[in-house]
Formats: sequence, structure tokens, C-alpha cells
Amino acid sequence: MSSTLFQDTKVLICVGSGGVGKTTVAASLAVLAAKEGRRVLVLTIDPAKRLAQTLGIEGSKDITKVPGQNFAGELYASVIDHKKTFDDFVARAARKAESAEKIYKNRLYQQLSTNLSGSQEFTALEKLYSCYESGEFDLIILDTPPTKHAIDFLHAPQKLSALFNEGVAKWFRDPEGKKSGFFGQLLQTGTRQVLKILESLTGSTFIHELGDFFINIEQCQEQLLKRTVDVHRLLVAPSTQFCLVTSFDQAKLKEAEYFSREIKKGGYHLTTVVLNRVFPYWLDLRSEDKSQKGHAGLVSLYSQMRSYYNQRDLIYQQFEANIRKEARVFRIPDLVKDISDLRGLEELSGLIAEGEKKA
Amino acid sequence: MKQEIHFVTGKGGVGKSVIAAALALKKSKEGKKVLLVELGDQSFFKDFLDLPEVGYQPTAIAPNLSVALWTGEACLQEYARHFIKVESLAKLFFENAVMKAFINVAPALPELAIMGKVTSGPRKHGPALPFDCLVVDAFATGHFIALLEAPKGMAQAVQFGPMGEQSRSIDACIRNKDLTSYHIVTLPEELPVKEATELFQRLKAEFEISADLIMNKVIATDLPLASLKEAQEEGSDLGKFAAYIEHQLEHQRAILEKAKQVPSDLQTVPLYFETNAWPLIQKIAEVLR
Repeated sequence: MSSTLFQDTKVLICVGSGGVGKTTVAASLAVLAAKEGRRVLVLTIDPAKRLAQTLGIEGSKDITKVPGQNFAGELYASVIDHKKTFDDFVARAARKAESAEKIYKNRLYQQLSTNLSGSQEFTALEKLYSCYESGEFDLIILDTPPTKHAIDFLHAPQKLSALFNEGVAKWFRDPEGKKSGFFGQLLQTGTRQVLKILESLTGSTFIHELGDFFINIEQCQEQLLKRTVDVHRLLVAPSTQFCLVTSFDQAKLKEAEYFSREIKKGGYHLTTVVLNRVFPYWLDLRSEDKSQKGHAGLVSLYSQMRSYYNQRDLIYQQFEANIRKEARVFRIPDLVKDISDLRGLEELSGLIAEGEKKA
Repeated sequence: MKQEIHFVTGKGGVGKSVIAAALALKKSKEGKKVLLVELGDQSFFKDFLDLPEVGYQPTAIAPNLSVALWTGEACLQEYARHFIKVESLAKLFFENAVMKAFINVAPALPELAIMGKVTSGPRKHGPALPFDCLVVDAFATGHFIALLEAPKGMAQAVQFGPMGEQSRSIDACIRNKDLTSYHIVTLPEELPVKEATELFQRLKAEFEISADLIMNKVIATDLPLASLKEAQEEGSDLGKFAAYIEHQLEHQRAILEKAKQVPSDLQTVPLYFETNAWPLIQKIAEVLR
């Protein structure tokens, strides 16, 4: 097996839209790295039950050494607890414990810290960074939250950090509190008008709840800004690589091409593309179409499936020709069965390593 | 006008969008004026159906059938403009840099704006939406729950004023069986069925919503098991294929049994070997109930 796979990589981020098998691929890559002798941690978002059992992290959110391993290195795994990661961040960032309590109690915060768009991406990166900072692992592999599009993962943290923007809280703050009502201290008449419109559309209770949220969360701003800069620095570092996992249909492949262009523009390093569940294992596209006697129904189904996959192969070849200039491409066949133990992951990682040799 | 609303959701990768398009096509063929709604920043149907552009304003793609792409920000903009009326004020409101950032991230606001727009017809609130039927290709499971919870959460957080009122009326609308239907798309695989089951139960418990299940890509064949066994002995490609099909069918049967235990209306959509988008959508539209 090649020992250069992810050799100089300290962080590997697996991105891709929902349902493409990101988590399984992330775990298999982690197995591969552990076999190469590295101390590796795989951070997952929402693993399937059997995969969680395989990794020994079912029902636990702590970093756990994967049971039953016999690798040159060591393999650890964890499920990211979004609520806790968010709360921990607030606890550290808020200057006083009672302010953190206030934030926890705000209803809008409660919604934000659960499953609204952008918040899982934030906590995934927050967890990644704190594990990276701990220096306990040679390599951290991050599985990312399911998004509609692969690129959403990179845009989410920016959106969220805008929330902590000083300007927003300034709108709602009224240092004197009594002078001329809620909007009294606002300097710009334009901004005051904007808030008035917002109030007429939403009502004053909403504005107050929102104001409460922004004013409380504002004190986390300094920490968040620092964190955003640090995390960004980590994401664009040469030792951080991105791995795009994608399934196989025309729209997904177009999206992958778009993603590889965007990610390059952002200064990130996309080094690997994994095409998951490309062809069923039984399929040899190069074999000749022999007519078999006696199994007419089966033969008809077989040739239908084959011609379907043959058409898809044409699309794939086009895609590969384009993307090869940017990154190495692995294609993983559809193994058909669910992965239910460490051996299953090893089998999959073997297929990836084999693909590497061929490339 | 009585407008029906359909939400199509499910785990990522199960074929939600294709099923949503097929449902929209079916409804349009029944003579309804249908809008297929995508949510998010980027359009799937633009690439999939090779359309020149898909944006906030509906684009006609077939007789009686249009498609649109809605973001929380665009919904909110349109809504606010409808009520502000004075263009210069609206401009001031939205072109403020802080407001822009704020609209995108204020907790639950984008979700609420989308739900407000989706239900604006039956609630007769906001700009007119001249369609008989809305088919929403909605977010995947987790984010879909957040979308449904936004009006309820907002109504609890904000009890008084227009925001609270609107939120309550949206919430009532999405629970109204006569107006709104929910379709959870799944595959004959373990994880998608597990996720669909959990979503079904959550919708029931939290919103008293009865969603139906659509199992997509079911291998439809009446090949007898004995002939599959026999073919496997040949050791050729066909033998491997027979083993594959046997395994798939067995797995499929077990999963289907599991799905049937969910007290929901379940229908299956066969796996079609069709790489072209329109023919695929048409085939599925024909079998959908």
C-alpha cells in the first residue's frame, strides 16, 4: 500500500451533498491512515447505527478508541454533539457565567443551537479546531453535516459569524435605556427607519427578543472573530486537505465540478475525489454481451442494467477527464451490503488503496 | 382559490427532487396549475432538466407546470416589499449591509419566511401566488423539521404583534390536513427507512401530521427464486448478477416488511433504467398514486 496517501495531511475534510456515503468513506479513510501507522481521529456527524457500533461510539459522544483494532497506528472516533459544542463555546466566550446562562435561556438561541442551517457547520469546525489544538492526533478526519450542496459547508461559517457582527447588536443597544425609548440611542436615522419597518412587520415583542439575543451574544464576538480567523487559517493550510465524496449521477457530477472550481478560488486544497457506489461489484463493463440460454427474464434484466450503467460510464469518463487535472479520483463500487464491522471498513479502505495504486 | 400544498422530504440521496417533479407533473396533467418549488441557493432542476435559468419568479417548463427557486431572503424581501409599498424605504431596508447579514442568519427567520410564502395562498396573506397546487421539494429530514418548527417556535417566542399572529396562522396551515400533504421519500435500504420512520413518528407526535411514505427505486421483477439459484451455478457474469439480484430482492423484502409496520400509506416506485431526466419523471408520474 502506498505510504504517501495523506502523508503530510493533518486535517482531512470530507465534503459532499447528503446521501452519498460521506461518513462511511471518512471512516474507511481513517482506517487506511491507522494502518499506515498514524494516530487518527474521525469526527462524525450522524453515523448509521451499525457504523456507530463498529466504531464503538453508539450512544456516546466522547472520543473513543475504536474497539477490536490491530493497526500499526491507532484509530479513535467521536460523534459531534452540536448542542454541547455550541454551549461550550458560549461558556468559554462569554465573559461572565451569568451572561452565558442568559444566552442559554434565550428562545432564539435555543433554536439556533439545535438544527438550523449553518449551526451544525459551525459546531463541526469548532470541534475540529479544538481537537486539532489539543495536539493529540496526527490526523483528524472530519465528516461534514449533510447539506443540499457540497459548497454549503464552506459558506455556512461566514453566514454564522455575521450573526455576531458588532453592527447588529449596536442597533438594539440602548445604553441609557430610558431617554427616548427603545430606538433612542441609534445614531443613523436610516437605521432607525429600517428597525421601524422591521417592527411594523414583526411586532415589538419580536424585536425585543431579537435585541436581547444580539446584545447577549455580542460579548462572544471577540472570541468568535478570533476563532473564525484561526479556523480559516487551518482550513487553507497546506496540511489541510479536502476530499469530495459524490455519488454518481449527472447533476451530482456537475455539482462536483462546480465545487472543485469554487474550492480552488477560496484557497483550499481539494486533493481527492471519491466517487462512491459507482457500479455494482458484479458488473464488468468490458465483458462482452453473451446471450445466455435458459434465463430469458434474468438476461433481459441484466442487459437493461448493463446498458444503464454503460451510459453512466460515458458520463463518468467525461467527468474524470476534467477533474483529473485538479485531484486524484477514486471510484468505489457498490458493495451492496451494509458495513457492519471493522473488517467491512477495512475492505472498503482496501478498495480505495487499490484505486490509488492504479491511479 | 383553494390551493393544495405538498411537501416532499426524506434522507439526502433518496431521489426527493425527482419524486417531487413527478408529483408536480402528475398534478399538472390532472389540469391543475402547478408550481414546483425548490428551496435553497442553487437549483437542482436547472442542471437536471437542462433549463436556462431557475429563479425566484416561476419559469414554465411544461403545460400547467412551472418551477421556482426560493431562498429565505428572497421570500422575506418580497413579503416586506408587499407591505412597505414605498420602494425607497424597501431599498433602504434591504440594502443596508447589516440587514443583509441579519436576514440570512437571524434564528429561524429564513425558515419562517419560506413557510410564510408557501402558505400565503390559503392564508390569503402577502403577494398573490396564482397556482392551484404547490409541490415543495423540501429540505432533507433534519433541516425539514427545523423548517416546520420555525413557525411554532416563533409563535412561542413572540406571543404578541404581527409576527406572533402570522406564525400562528402558518403553523395552523401546515397542520391542516385538507390543505397540506407530506410525502417522505425513502429507498429499500436500512438507513433511509429508519430515518423515514423516525420522521413519520416525529411529524405525528409534534404536529399531528400523517405523512405518507414513497419507497423509491424498488427492483420490480417476478423472476422466481429457483431460477436465480440455478443461474448462480453458472459462475459467469450472469451468475454473479443472479447472486446480486437474489441478495437485493431478499434485502428489499425484509426492508419492505419493516416499512409496512409504519402506520402510514406506503407506495412503491420501481427502479427505472433511464438516464434521461424527462422520460424518467414521466414514467414515475404515471405510477404515482
